[in-house]
Amino acid sequence: MSKPNDLVQGTLDLLILKMLALEPMNGWSIGQRLKQLSADILQVSDGSLYPALHKLEQEGWVTAEWRQSENNRRAKFYSLTRAGQKQLKIEAGNWDRLATAITALVRLQEV
Amino acid sequence: MGIDRFLRVAGLRLRSVFRRGAVERELDEELQYHVEQQTAENVRNGMSPRDARNAALRAIGGLEFRKEQVRDTRGTRWLDEISSDLSFAFRSLRRAHGFTLAVVVTLALGIGANTAMFTLLRGTLLRPLPNREGDRLVYLRQSAPGSDQANISFSVPEVTDFRAEAKSLSSIAEYSQMVPFTIVGSDGHPARARVGVITGNYFDVLGLAPIAGRLTTPRDDGPDVPSVAVLSYRYWMDRFGGDPRIVGQTVRLNDRSSTIIGVLQPAPDYPRRTEIFVNMVTSPHHLSATMVTGRTHRMSELFARLAPTATVESARAEIDRISAAMMRDHPEAYEKAAKHSVALFPLRDALNERASATFWLLMGAATFVLLIACANVANLTLMRGVGREREMLVRAALGAGRARLRRLLIVENLTLATIGGVLGVLVSAAALKLLVAFAAQFSPRASEIRIDATVLAVGLATSVLAAILLSFMPRVSSDGALASALGASNGGRRITLGHGRQRVQQTLVIAQIAVCMILLTGAGLLMRTMMNLHSVDTGIQAEHVLTLELPLQGDLLKEVMKPENLGNYERMRDRVASLPGVDVAALGSAVPLRGSLDFEVKAENRETPPSRPTPRASVKLVDPKFFSAAGIPVLKGRAFESTDRRGSGLVVIISGAFAKQIFGDDDPIGKRIAWTGDVLRFTPFSGAWRTVVGVVGDTRDHGLDGDVTPSVYEPFAQEIVLGGALIVRTASDPAAMQQSVVRAIRDVAPAQLIEHVATFDQIRDEAVAPRRLNAMFISSFGALALVIAMVGIAGVLAFAVTSRTSEIGIRMSLGADAGRVRRMILSEGGVLLGIGVALGLAGALFAARLLRGMLFGVSPHDPLTLTGVAVMLAAVGVAACWLPAARAARVDPAIALRAE
Repeated sequence: MSKPNDLVQGTLDLLILKMLALEPMNGWSIGQRLKQLSADILQVSDGSLYPALHKLEQEGWVTAEWRQSENNRRAKFYSLTRAGQKQLKIEAGNWDRLATAITALVRLQEV
Repeated sequence: MGIDRFLRVAGLRLRSVFRRGAVERELDEELQYHVEQQTAENVRNGMSPRDARNAALRAIGGLEFRKEQVRDTRGTRWLDEISSDLSFAFRSLRRAHGFTLAVVVTLALGIGANTAMFTLLRGTLLRPLPNREGDRLVYLRQSAPGSDQANISFSVPEVTDFRAEAKSLSSIAEYSQMVPFTIVGSDGHPARARVGVITGNYFDVLGLAPIAGRLTTPRDDGPDVPSVAVLSYRYWMDRFGGDPRIVGQTVRLNDRSSTIIGVLQPAPDYPRRTEIFVNMVTSPHHLSATMVTGRTHRMSELFARLAPTATVESARAEIDRISAAMMRDHPEAYEKAAKHSVALFPLRDALNERASATFWLLMGAATFVLLIACANVANLTLMRGVGREREMLVRAALGAGRARLRRLLIVENLTLATIGGVLGVLVSAAALKLLVAFAAQFSPRASEIRIDATVLAVGLATSVLAAILLSFMPRVSSDGALASALGASNGGRRITLGHGRQRVQQTLVIAQIAVCMILLTGAGLLMRTMMNLHSVDTGIQAEHVLTLELPLQGDLLKEVMKPENLGNYERMRDRVASLPGVDVAALGSAVPLRGSLDFEVKAENRETPPSRPTPRASVKLVDPKFFSAAGIPVLKGRAFESTDRRGSGLVVIISGAFAKQIFGDDDPIGKRIAWTGDVLRFTPFSGAWRTVVGVVGDTRDHGLDGDVTPSVYEPFAQEIVLGGALIVRTASDPAAMQQSVVRAIRDVAPAQLIEHVATFDQIRDEAVAPRRLNAMFISSFGALALVIAMVGIAGVLAFAVTSRTSEIGIRMSLGADAGRVRRMILSEGGVLLGIGVALGLAGALFAARLLRGMLFGVSPHDPLTLTGVAVMLAAVGVAACWLPAARAARVDPAIALRAE
């Protein structure tokens, strides 16, 4: 099982930004969606999601508004800002480079 | 950062500060929503509702913890904490109100004294001159130390030489002041004003600007221009109420009408207070041949601006060269034995000449007071810190970081220091008037003293610095110390200091006492100076004497020649003499103890050896009763008689020391002397031989610490009348007679000016006023320091007694009696006192040398003062230790041991 602090530093931010790029969501749905999409491999602790979300909000990458949720309850929905879209591109690029580099290293033939 | 993102972020930050409640509610709701959703999910997966909810809460990992994490993301946490720190500080300080009061008062006094002194220093010494490029201005002074003349100023031929040859001075301006002018404005009432006669370039050289109208220019020089006048700012405000319409109006100055062309910006009065500046043509004497061609007719003070490439040193060297050449070319104008010399100072140094040493001394004293205050507060904080060590430990155990604890202390101390600082600044603001009056005795820039932003900033900085220093006194436990400290304290009352801290505390007390010793020594020396001055014999009998100055009005050189003057003055005298309550009324040209002009004197058939300067004496015209009215004893021969009048043989009376100076041990009675010297030509005095008919006691006209004034008295009625002063000896309190005396004079001479009405005691007092103020300031700093230091030593001992109650209990149960315990505590205080006094003594021996110039009749290392102060300090110190010692002696061993 993968605990949140096992995630590579800053990865949670990237994942959240990506989720929100698809559509505005509330905190709970983001957690659920992450589990589904990663086939339960990425289990983000429910608790750590909220500090991360608020941090992104305070940074101005995402913005939040209160809306009716699917089950007719008031919930805080987050969506990506323009600055957040840019940030997502940057972080996705960073991730790609990192992943490529690590993959290349891991696949080195052992002599 | 893009502008939209910036605005978004800023909005969020503001919201989290100002809409904190709403933000917190939203956070609650958001997390609540999550928990409910998760609970519902868990129920769907088959859990019981209760288990489902618990699992949901577990998954989130502690609601409050997450909330804290979220709050951290806001970046405004420090703000919340500071405000809670502040309210905590207030609460805890209010609880410890004794401590708070002691600290605030101590700091207020320390910071107040410093702010006040700094205000003084800044207004007079530190601020740049108001003059444009004031640091390029220099002042020239010619002195003749050989004949005891500190400033003889310059003559027109000398100025001409400097102008022609000094390349390092770009321009030279002249200023001279004679006797006050009489000014008659549109109201028709005559008044006297201090008038400075200047060259047209004066204001340009000094770099001063008008605040109304214009200032003089070189076009106002010369004999064929209209007379113009410029008012000083203060005179304009005082006499004309700051009315700008005064510009362009005409006033009469002596017998000339003069147009007021402008008002000068506020500027320091130097070398003398000046109310009206006039061009040369306004003072006929200044353009007369005697003035223009006489090399010894010295009347002008010189100000100059350094040439762009010149330095003070290069200008000095050049002036030395030029004046050496002058003395070589005109030996008749520079008597060898008088040792003429010309000095050049930056104007700022000249202005600060008298203030500098005094003010820096006071600033030093104030700094010492602040140091003592801080040491005291540090001690109080230390003691309180010990009591709070447990509090700090508990806070640390509950998760407060070290930095947080330190910050808590800093906030607390800042609160204290700020309150102290604000009070201190208020104290110094309240004392501002007093300060300005004090400074005016020393500096022409006193009127520039004000509490401005810089002063406030320095006061604030002092407070903050003190607070930060204090915050590092108590221990804030590190993680490791926690367990051991808690273990050691074992839940009991742990109120002792570690050895290191105790050492710090004792060092602070010793330092306080030492500094106190230094300050008190200074105060003691200045007090002895005051006592010595008060016992100086001025040569007069001061009791029951009222004096009034009755000057002539108008152009003095013409007025003194008027024959009716004598009759006028005699009428005024006789009218006053007839008043009931007046014993004697006498006339003199000047009031005793106030200086008058002096001339060189020669004696018949006696040559002054060339190595000695020609003797000089003060000229005083007095009537027959003058000596008895002033209480000056006639030592030999006779006083003047009413027969010593115009037409009778010329007679003089000389003062005792002067008789000794020119006649040695010979009997001066019947010998003849005469005024001499070049200057005589420019005065109405004749150089005729005069017979000495009497010798009278010496007086001190140049201050109580000055030498006796060599004087030659002429009969008031014999030659000319220089102006008058009435000396009135009364049967009772002279001040009470003032009104009837003035009224009597008005009866016979309604238009007569009456100035400087004062008793002899007041005149004597004026002479010592600056010193007395000085002594007062240093003494009050000393007293302040003493009180603070005594509170300090008593506090430290009291604390020691408290923390050693059980030890004392054990000692007593083992047989020590109360007296022994008391002695033990007293001797502990005594050791601190002893070391402090010894160190202070060494410091005082060093520091008192700085005072040398301000002392009179007492050596800076006066053993009596040093011993006296040491004994007093020790006595007060022991008294301060007595209280805690007595408390220690009252410890009941049974109670002390049970408390453990």
